[in-house]
Amino acid sequence: MKKIEADIVVLGAGPGGYAAAFYAATKGRQVLMIEKDDRLGGVCLNRGCIPSKALLHATALLSEAKESSHWGIDFGAPKINLEKMRAWKESILSKLSEGIRGLAKRRQVEVIKGRGHFEGNNVLRLETAEGQKFIHYKKVIIAVGSSPALPAVFDLGNKRIMTSTEALELEEIPETLLVVGGGYIGMELGTVYSELGSKVTVVEALDSILAGADADLARPVQEYAKKNFKEVRVKAKVVKMSTQGKQIKVQMEYEGKKLEEFYDRVLVSVGRVPNTEDLGLKSTNVQLDPKGFIKVNSMQQTDDMDILAIGDVVGGLMLAHKASKEARIAVDRICGGHSVFEDVVIPAVVFTNPEVAWCGLTEAEARKRNIPVDVVKFPWAASGRAMTLDRTDGLTKLIVEPGTERILGVGMVGVGAGDMIAEGVVAVEMAATARDLAECVHPHPTLSETLQEAAEMFYGHSSHAYSRPREHVEHSA
Amino acid sequence: MEVRVPQLGEGVDSGTVVNILVKVGDAVKKNQTLIELESGKAVAPIPSSGDGAIQALHIKQGDKVSVGQLIATLSSSGSAPAAQPQVAATAPVAAQNVAAPQPSFIPAPVIPSAGAYQYQSQSGSPPPASPSVRAMARDLGIDLGRVRGTESGGRIGLADVRNYIMQIQAMAFSAASAAALPAVQSSMKIDPSIDFSQWGPVTKKPLTALRRTIAKRMHESWSAIPHVTQFDEADVTIISQLRKKYASDYEKKGVNLTLTAIILKAVTAALKKHPVINSSLDLEKDELVLKDYIHLGVAVDTDQGLIVPVIRNADQMSILELAAAIGQVAEKTRQRKISGEDLKGGTFTISNLGGIGGGHFTPIVNKPEVAILGIGRGVSKPVVREGKIEVRQLMPVCVSYDHRVIDGADGARFTRSFIEALEKISDADIRLGSAAKPQPPVKTAAKKLVKKAGKK
Repeated sequence: MKKIEADIVVLGAGPGGYAAAFYAATKGRQVLMIEKDDRLGGVCLNRGCIPSKALLHATALLSEAKESSHWGIDFGAPKINLEKMRAWKESILSKLSEGIRGLAKRRQVEVIKGRGHFEGNNVLRLETAEGQKFIHYKKVIIAVGSSPALPAVFDLGNKRIMTSTEALELEEIPETLLVVGGGYIGMELGTVYSELGSKVTVVEALDSILAGADADLARPVQEYAKKNFKEVRVKAKVVKMSTQGKQIKVQMEYEGKKLEEFYDRVLVSVGRVPNTEDLGLKSTNVQLDPKGFIKVNSMQQTDDMDILAIGDVVGGLMLAHKASKEARIAVDRICGGHSVFEDVVIPAVVFTNPEVAWCGLTEAEARKRNIPVDVVKFPWAASGRAMTLDRTDGLTKLIVEPGTERILGVGMVGVGAGDMIAEGVVAVEMAATARDLAECVHPHPTLSETLQEAAEMFYGHSSHAYSRPREHVEHSA
Repeated sequence: MEVRVPQLGEGVDSGTVVNILVKVGDAVKKNQTLIELESGKAVAPIPSSGDGAIQALHIKQGDKVSVGQLIATLSSSGSAPAAQPQVAATAPVAAQNVAAPQPSFIPAPVIPSAGAYQYQSQSGSPPPASPSVRAMARDLGIDLGRVRGTESGGRIGLADVRNYIMQIQAMAFSAASAAALPAVQSSMKIDPSIDFSQWGPVTKKPLTALRRTIAKRMHESWSAIPHVTQFDEADVTIISQLRKKYASDYEKKGVNLTLTAIILKAVTAALKKHPVINSSLDLEKDELVLKDYIHLGVAVDTDQGLIVPVIRNADQMSILELAAAIGQVAEKTRQRKISGEDLKGGTFTISNLGGIGGGHFTPIVNKPEVAILGIGRGVSKPVVREGKIEVRQLMPVCVSYDHRVIDGADGARFTRSFIEALEKISDADIRLGSAAKPQPPVKTAAKKLVKKAGKK
């Protein structure tokens, strides 16, 4: 039994945890980072964002190769070597994970592999390969993340029923794949398997896929799915699953009918649950909400004075970049700073084909909350660059506050939208007006012009898309 | 309608026009500032007394104007008829503005704008500002909803925040000065310089450092302490006789047997009976500090002015020792050889003006002490004692005390105790050579105490 004194302990080495650990170390604090896995980087790096993006990139080539035939380029049928693809993906993960370890070392952040368990009185018991260790901490930042939800009715102990974790392992290319849940994880992984050749069926309980995204932004993704997936069923419900030989028998209700179907594999992507069990939080004052997420205030403080929490484990948007932002707020709090998680613009990106991205206020939310907004949409059909890419299935739109012309939200769908939304974030965070955006010269020919042109459309003077000139009081400036 | 210079405040009857904010033809509202007038150190906005359009301005920048002088003529917009009563009605407002002087560097017109503004977004969005400006506002504790943005779309820039801070600072300052300045000013204000030579020849002498200190200390004590002075008389007939009787004995020891030494002896006895007189008031900690030691200050008249050296542990000294100590410190003080340390730590002060003359007077308590004893000249008076008229020597006794600490009854009791102790002084107390008190041990004890006190 070993007693360790620690200034700041960070529990979990995901994009929230390592951001917190590094930032605290930069501020001169002594930091101990604890990770239960061999690899640092958490879900994002090992079982989420990064591997899924690697597979999406690889498989996008398949679809592009198909499309290229009418540009006059034919590749013939592709040969897919799954083993090689997996190895390539793995090499990225280990590179990134080792990169984090190296950075931790250089910042003198001590990394211990083990599972943390709160014992009360600022003591954390650590289960490690070398036995138990007891850490006496001053402050802890919990960043233990979340895991894919697998409802008990689907949990048959059959490896053919996968969550995103297993699906990313890419064990095989099933002939038929049922994706339960049409959110961004289901749509992204459905895209990967569909490109690889699986016949993909998506089942969504709500009335549309990609809940949260504006309908017009989700439409090109629906179009893609309609063309490339076997089927997308909305307002459908999986009732029961059972093992049937090498297949899964699935019973569902759809359009008032009871269906019984067989699939080679099933991907359950119905949400994620916080990893708050087995932390021993009962011995602390930390409070959980009914769904098991840790309750925190806008400074990431829990109800326990010395415990802060960030990332998926506190709920909200379960995104790596949200966790990283919260990491800075938590560390600032510990170091006596004033930052708070208020009015922070967190962009959302769905890496489907095409990508969907938005930030700030969405059109749907404005309608729902009865907020008067002006919405301008620039269709990519009017973009020269989109045409040269043969991807006019895009749209850029601005949500503008009438009167002040302030940009409240930006939404996009189209290739590369995930990268371009960053400009939207800057615009919203800076409280830019449509005129600000219109006045900024964007390079031609790029897709980024669609942002400028959307802003110009607001004033009726976009070069490439017609819109009725606005009755508008000219700015004196 | 005529707008005239209103009452500007007590003792101010004129001012200089530093700013004209309107021009002929301008429509103005009641209470809108027309001009700014500088009088003394203050700049006062002069408001319009009614609605209307400016027909004529009768003043120009730099003009010296006095109360009642015509500033502007307004075309009446059909409202109230002209002149005096209305000016009188607005006068108090203007007078207030003048009475609470504002530093002239504050841009007066911006002051009212800071308080009222509140950002409102029809979309419920937070005030428009960049992340860096928001972070700064958070650090400074500024609600951006109160800051008017001047950038595109009403965005709040760094300059807007800076402007806002200046405005609230100006507002805070003017509000504070309105509330606090009159009090501060009345006590701290320096009297205006008057040219006395207009009435005859004068000699000007710069104040010495000592005089400045005395002035400051006296002012502090006088303004901070609510004084009460108790008058009484002590019968010093016997003491006078004893002084005459033993003066030569003391002289042989090189000591002048003064009345002050005997008074000090009696004071120590009275202080022991009334510890509250030997205390200090600590309002910050809400405490009364009662001192277990008795260090007596003795007012000494020097060429340069009043100095009060302290005789430590006076209660442990015989009259001989007290007399010797007084002689020593008085001499040292007159030669200005007394150290700063020797002027500190007193618990009670005695000011004996008997040698100079005069009856009762009202000494000022020597802060942070809470009481002082003043002694006038003892004179022979007819006194009725046991039904017979006798000639006795009576000495005026004046005890001033801090009424925050000492109630009237306590003050009177202490005065009586002192007089009783003084009148009880006997032959044995003054006579030398009697093996009355073992002096050496007391002295060492006293020395130790002195050291301790010195450290404090």
